[in-house]
This record gives sequence, C-alpha cells and structure tokens, in this order.
Amino acid sequence: MNVTHDNDHKTTTIHATGRLDFEAAGAFQKDLEASIAAAAAAGNAVLLDCATLDYVSSAGLRVFLVGARAAKAANVPFAVYALTAAVKEVFDVSGFGRIIDVLADRAGALEKVGRSA
Amino acid sequence: MISLTEELTLLAVEDDGRIAYTAGSPNFAMALVGACIVDLNKAGRVDADLQGLNVLSTEPTGLEAQDRVLEVIAAGPVQTTERWVLELQGDSPDLVRMTLAHLQRRGILHQAEKRFLWALRARRYPIDDGGKEQKEAKLRILAALLSEGLPTPDDSMLIGLAVAGGLLEAFMSKSEVARLAERIAEIGGLDLVVRGVESAIRADAEVRAHAIMLSIH
Repeated sequence: MNVTHDNDHKTTTIHATGRLDFEAAGAFQKDLEASIAAAAAAGNAVLLDCATLDYVSSAGLRVFLVGARAAKAANVPFAVYALTAAVKEVFDVSGFGRIIDVLADRAGALEKVGRSA
Repeated sequence: MISLTEELTLLAVEDDGRIAYTAGSPNFAMALVGACIVDLNKAGRVDADLQGLNVLSTEPTGLEAQDRVLEVIAAGPVQTTERWVLELQGDSPDLVRMTLAHLQRRGILHQAEKRFLWALRARRYPIDDGGKEQKEAKLRILAALLSEGLPTPDDSMLIGLAVAGGLLEAFMSKSEVARLAERIAEIGGLDLVVRGVESAIRADAEVRAHAIMLSIH
C-alpha cells in the first residue's frame, strides 16, 4: 500500500493506493493518526482519497473507524471520498457509511468539511 | 489483556456464577465463534474480506479456543466468514469450556459445583476478581451506547457480538435495549467478521424455520 499527502484549502488530503489489509493496516493507522493530529494543530480538515484504494479487509476497515474517531475527538472535519466499487461494497456491508461521511468526489468532500476548492 | 472471546464469555456469566440460558442458544454459539475469528484477525492469523476468510499464519496464539478455530479454518477451504461460523457453531460448547478454563487459570473466575434438591448438581463459575473484567466489559458497552462519540473498533465489535449472541439483555432491561436500538444499530458490529456472524445467524434461523414448516406439513 502506498500513501501520499498534500495540503491545500486548509485541508490535508491523504491519498491511499493499493491494498489495505492486515499487513498494511498498522502503518496506515499510524500515518492517519499522525496526519489528524497535525491537521488539528494546523486547523485543517482531513480528507481520505480512496480513488486508487483497490482493497480493504476487515483489519483495514478498522483503521477507518480509528481515524474517524480520532478526527471527531480532535474536532477535525473528516470525510472519505471516491471509493472504488470494491471498497464501497465493504463500506455498505459493514455499515461504515452510517458513521463516516463518504462522498463521491473531492468537490463534494471539500464542501462537506466546509472548505471550498 | 483480555480477548474478545473471554469478554463475550464473561458477559454470559450471571452474578451468581450461573451461565446465562442464552449461552445455550445457537446465536450465542455463532457469536462466540465470531469472537474467536476476530481475536485471530487482531492477532494477524486470519484476515477477512467479502470473498472469504484468509489464513495469514498458522502459528498458535496460545489461546486454546482461538487456536482450535484457527486449526479448523487452516485445514479447510477458503470460504466466507458466514460459512465458517455456521460450520463451527457445533464446536461452541468446547470453545466455551476452553475459554472458561483460560479465565480460571487467569484467576478471573473459578468453577464450583452446587447441589440442589440433595442430588442434582449444577456447575457454576463465580467471578473471582471482584468482577473487574466483567464490569469493565459491561461499562464499555454502556459508555459507548450512551455517548455521542464513535466507538473504538473493539467496543463496536463487542457490542455487535453481544447483540448477536443475545447477551445485552443479561445486564440491560428490555426497555433500555429497545430505547437504544437505533444507537446499537449505528455503532454495533462495524466489522466484516461481525457482519458475517449476523448473516450466519439469519441463515441459520431460516433453515430452522424451514425445518419447522416441513415438520408441520
């Protein structure tokens, strides 16, 4: 799994690529928690771009909950966008769409977290 | 650190040490198998997706019940969590016995036999640690349900499996469970393994209902 970041519009965007499985989950969780802590300090929102995230397993899914929980605790606006069909199915089955803001694209996600492109 | 399987088993132990009658239900059996699979997932032995449960390592965890489940899954084909839960539910009495034995070794409870009507004996498992671990599991569930925040993954899975296994009513009133139904549905079981347990319980109920209908006709 590969993760990159960019910052603009008072928003930290995390671009996740590849497979989020047990092997990748630990490192990704650390990255996500650190990004949220940094965003809280900078007054940024955090967006998770999943356009190139091909796969999420049960272990990987828990990282989304850890991230959403950390963002809520730190009062950091948080949303996920551009889920691939496979990842969307995992979100639908697990019920994550009920607790995490999931948007179709970046524009919608920016609007959701109160930022404009 | 207490495992999810141990927590779920402790929730089935009543104040006087009796095992709650719900622990004899198929739903509890399947929830317990699910808890073993979640523990194996957290320990990096298996990982689940919508296609199946994949074995990552066959190295024993040292937890007898979980290792029994791992051994069976590793020897079988790749199939969904739902399928494994249905297949392993018959092993639940052994898994409970192994988990109770582990809890005894850890000094969390002990086994006692109580006689009643001078002859009949009932096995009980009085809690020994002042009820710390059991209270903590109950309090975590209640705190997650009564707060407005998001649960930890562990709390979400514990709630999901406690609901699936019919254990919430062991320490909450029915009206309280009904009042919190929306919150329970929102934050309970946010996990693919727990969803697999729920699917297995639905499938099992359908099979039983079908069998009843056949027996009527």
